[in-house]
Amino acid sequence: MGLKKNNDDLIVQQGPGFVTTSVDKLVNWARTGSMWPVTLGLACCGIEMMHSAASRYDTDRFGVFYRPSPRQSDVMIVAGTLCNKMAPPLRKIYDQMAEPKWVISMGSCANGGGYYHHSYSVVRGCDQIIPVDVYVPGCPPTAEALINGIIELQEKIRSEESIANG
Amino acid sequence: MAKKNHIKLINQKLSEYSHSLLSSDHDPLFLVEQSDLVNICKILKTDNELDYSILIDICAVDYLTYGQADWVTNEATKTGYSRAVEQKIIADHDDEFPDRFAIFYQLLSISNNSRISLKTFTTKLNPPSVPSINKIWNSANWFEREAFDLMGVHFKGHPDLRRILTDYGFIGHPFRKDFPTNGNLEVVYDEDKEEVVYKPVSITTRPSVPRVIRKDND
Repeated sequence: MGLKKNNDDLIVQQGPGFVTTSVDKLVNWARTGSMWPVTLGLACCGIEMMHSAASRYDTDRFGVFYRPSPRQSDVMIVAGTLCNKMAPPLRKIYDQMAEPKWVISMGSCANGGGYYHHSYSVVRGCDQIIPVDVYVPGCPPTAEALINGIIELQEKIRSEESIANG
Repeated sequence: MAKKNHIKLINQKLSEYSHSLLSSDHDPLFLVEQSDLVNICKILKTDNELDYSILIDICAVDYLTYGQADWVTNEATKTGYSRAVEQKIIADHDDEFPDRFAIFYQLLSISNNSRISLKTFTTKLNPPSVPSINKIWNSANWFEREAFDLMGVHFKGHPDLRRILTDYGFIGHPFRKDFPTNGNLEVVYDEDKEEVVYKPVSITTRPSVPRVIRKDND
């Protein structure tokens, strides 16, 4: 109870106080602080994606918290080989996500077909189907690399001027 | 010795059907006529002494270029692997496949701790076919669908012979030796139509063997 009394003293001495910022910065702070990705592990990259979310790397520190529904998600992490058969569902999932939305392409296969570039059944890069913001290289990328990609995406979001551009 | 006796037992049980032992170096491999296949499988599964209760796998083999050198070193240094360079027409329209496709069945008997393989050639007429053994081992259902999807072998009597792995509306059978490795179609998102559309494949085939210059071939 002593603590409360001291705080009251502080407010009495200095007033309630205030912080100034631009609306853009406030919005971007909120957006970067809780990027919820849709769980989309398509192949072995999905295992590294799980590692990044598990206790050792714990992307929840960044507010990155995997959701089972595209309607609750801000980010799509395309983790793995995108097959021709999976391309229309992938686009459908992307279309179901609410704006604003971003895409991280994880690993060689999602970036450009990778090992399966010359295959008869694999899309040569998920950017043929959806617009991509960040490409994470590797086969598969380590959990650290994916986290680096998440931080790069945060940097990208911070540089956006959402209010000024309407 | 135990294995020899077991092979003898199998020969004895299957004596009324024509079959031959192709190899016994590891697990015995028997060549059977596809017209006898169902009866032989029935005996192998239901006989108490043999008791091959589990069908482990079914695979199809394409013998189109069997025995021919895939690539000759001297030519490959200039041209590469022929299959990757030359585009051939998918052989769906051929009338005959003389001894081209073979189906292998891997069987396991838990009680005898024994594994054997059966090999049978398909019919020669298009489409190549063998009788389905789905009624004997239920696990054959998806194996046969997979072999049909990738190799184009029909399994007569299968309850639901659909494609299982390839894309909806896929044309051709990709594991056939004359199927182009790059395929025929690729998918891309069309901004105007707002849907994923198919278009002809944009990349060209390329040699997939290293072009090595060897001095002893000059």
